[in-house]
Amino acid sequence: MKAIPGARTPSQGLRLGVGLLALLALTLAALSFGRYPSPGFLSIRTLIEDPVALRVLTLIRLPRVLGALLLGATLGATGCAFQLIFANPLVDAGFLGVSQGASFGAALALIAGAGPLFLFGSAFGFAALALALSVFLASRLRFGGAVLRLVLSGIAVSAFFSAAVALIKYGADPHKQLPEITYWMMGGLSSANWRNLSLAAPLALLSLGFVLSTRWRITLLSLDEATAASLGAKPGLERGLTLGFAAAGVAAVTAMAGTVSWVGIIVPHAARIILGSDGSSTLGGSALLGAAFVVFADALARGLFPGELPLGIVTALLGTVVFFSLLLSRRVRVERG
Amino acid sequence: MLRFRTVSYRYKGEKTYALSDFSLSAQPGRVTALLGPNGSGKSTALGIAAGWLVPVGGSIEREGRVAFLPQMERLAFSFSCLEYVTFGRAPHLPYLGIPGGQDANLAREALARVGMAEKADKRVTALSGGELQLVRLARALVQEALWTVLDEPTDMLDPAHILALGGVLRAITAAGGGVLLSTHDIGFALATADDAALVKEGKLVAQGTRAEVLNPHALGALYGVPFAWDRVPGPLHNP
Repeated sequence: MKAIPGARTPSQGLRLGVGLLALLALTLAALSFGRYPSPGFLSIRTLIEDPVALRVLTLIRLPRVLGALLLGATLGATGCAFQLIFANPLVDAGFLGVSQGASFGAALALIAGAGPLFLFGSAFGFAALALALSVFLASRLRFGGAVLRLVLSGIAVSAFFSAAVALIKYGADPHKQLPEITYWMMGGLSSANWRNLSLAAPLALLSLGFVLSTRWRITLLSLDEATAASLGAKPGLERGLTLGFAAAGVAAVTAMAGTVSWVGIIVPHAARIILGSDGSSTLGGSALLGAAFVVFADALARGLFPGELPLGIVTALLGTVVFFSLLLSRRVRVERG
Repeated sequence: MLRFRTVSYRYKGEKTYALSDFSLSAQPGRVTALLGPNGSGKSTALGIAAGWLVPVGGSIEREGRVAFLPQMERLAFSFSCLEYVTFGRAPHLPYLGIPGGQDANLAREALARVGMAEKADKRVTALSGGELQLVRLARALVQEALWTVLDEPTDMLDPAHILALGGVLRAITAAGGGVLLSTHDIGFALATADDAALVKEGKLVAQGTRAEVLNPHALGALYGVPFAWDRVPGPLHNP
């Protein structure tokens, strides 16, 4: 059977279908997995007989697992979009200062003793500010192409906000504020609830919707500017739109869950190995795989030990192991420059 | 018709003009070759012809769409040749459009026209330089543009691929399309072009048919080195 570019081939469609079913099964397993009433999986009988178990499921595990799905899908798909529009398979939102901006906003809110709503707003606002600063600085540079200018200014903005976070940590109360800031920056869904989820979901879903519906145009932008323009694209405008929507999604989920690293880098690589390079399939595949990866990592984070592990640590550990495995298996190829 | 009228262009931050008072006309159904030393403004002229660069002075008259092949192209991801050629359908699709079976068929036909039909499922990053250039040309073909503009298309190609490329360009003009290209390959220009234009220091110094312009005297003056040949090769014929 021959491939139709852009459209999914039967084998890609089958793989995506199997992926969706696997994600559904994983989600159900994650919902029933935990440490109440005893470590392991909940049975339906327990749910019927124990009203506390039902409340744990609906008020704690369900928003948390849905948060994990949203977080993973957003980081996976936007990571793939960032890699395509920057034509660089090693880029994610961290390169543009979005994660560091969110960390600074959260640290500021925590040191001010603000509530969760203000923390979300502050993290989101500074993530957006960091992105705007990166774009503004890039526009002032007078050398290199658009991509190089953005990456360079993003590195500078990231370093600035990292230093600002370090400054806040240095001045924070070491007994209360410093641990709070440190734990927030490790990333996690331990404080996930329906309220947090309802704050992040609209922006994250909008971001996902945009990235998935423009998947073929985003793939087109991975060609260089002159080529993309000759194919009728408006590279500056289209890259800017993709950047804005993708960064808004990352900012929203980062404000909800803190800095969860490696998902945006490792997941698109895995999706490309399974589905090929065409972004029409890999963007959807990255959303699916990202969601599965984070749901799995979060289940490990909350169920592996009596005390909960920060999710960011689990994703970083799993991510680096997977990444090195890919490198050693030569499935990640260095392409013609 | 593709006509430059006293066009000038200056890159941001540069003091000197890359093109000044540049006038040129190219006709559909003909291959027009731009020749000139490195840095003479050929690529700038082609960028303007393609609509990628906007002139700071003068005007450009262009009928029909342009398919543009820049000299260098970034390939960060290993698309299959078919996926890559199908990008050429973008001008025919809406913003949220996804190419379908008809677009894939056109891409396959284009690959067949450049002699690369059997490479449809091969990764573009695994192609040789010559094969990649032919696949890029296939992508330009599926754009169904009136004009095909190519910057140094024979760069680093072996003679067989140069011949294949020339054959495809002649087929484009035989079907009524226009080709505007730049080249340092005098033999390729003599064998492929109908018309030629000589560019030096951002200005057009000569334009005419191949026989009028591409002679040892004019080329010697253009490049500052002596040229001589005994026999001028005839134009390529499509088999």
